[in-house]
Amino acid sequence: MSTTAPLEVMEPDTGTDAETDAPWVVLVWNDPINLMSYVTFVLQKLFSYSKAEADKLMMQVHTEGKAAVSHGTRSEAERDVFRLHEHGLWATMQQD
Amino acid sequence: MGLLDGVFDPPFRKRRNGRYTVNLSEGERQLIEDLALDLRELLTTDSPMLQRLFPPPYGENEERNQGYSALAGSELVERKFAALDVVTGTISAEDLSEEEVEAWMRSINDIRLVLGTVLGISEDQGFEPSDEATQALHDNYEYLGMLLERIIRALSS
Repeated sequence: MSTTAPLEVMEPDTGTDAETDAPWVVLVWNDPINLMSYVTFVLQKLFSYSKAEADKLMMQVHTEGKAAVSHGTRSEAERDVFRLHEHGLWATMQQD
Repeated sequence: MGLLDGVFDPPFRKRRNGRYTVNLSEGERQLIEDLALDLRELLTTDSPMLQRLFPPPYGENEERNQGYSALAGSELVERKFAALDVVTGTISAEDLSEEEVEAWMRSINDIRLVLGTVLGISEDQGFEPSDEATQALHDNYEYLGMLLERIIRALSS
């Protein structure tokens, strides 16, 4: 993985496919099946959130429909999405 | 059923040495094994019942979803097989490691996701079983939800 990105020149407008240095955000979405206690537990386990932090994120998922649970490079985000999917959470990633 | 059933003898209990005591009836173990084997079989197909187990990571960007799926999809299936293998391999055990309990947790949650998908569970309406078969699926769904709560409680203790 490269540590320094090449200097960006004018990118053609390719919509969301444009590769930029903007960080990626991993979102967990509300779903009617997963238990609230399970979502909190998984967020604590995977991201080392405190119980209070994980509860707050879980409630945000529940009431607002989604919450950002991690940020990073594209490959970091893909790794987090994978671990969330391994645990059955409905996770997606997008660029900020 | 006594008022205190399950309070002193919960289905999963963490011991001082960090391992877990499992207290489930023969019938419960049989049910969990059957459901785990059903999911194992289902995972070899591309059934729409599995949709909640493999959410598209890039939302509506189909090209990127396919790229991700080509790289990570089979590994994700392998992880789910591995967890199910732990469940069926320890189905009669009364003593589990934390790692094994977590495999049980993930598998039970995956089975619940499939049952919930089949039942069409949604946030805004109560569940009305249309026939006996659906009622039986829903009973299993509710049972696994209860079991999952107890596993989370044990892992958090």
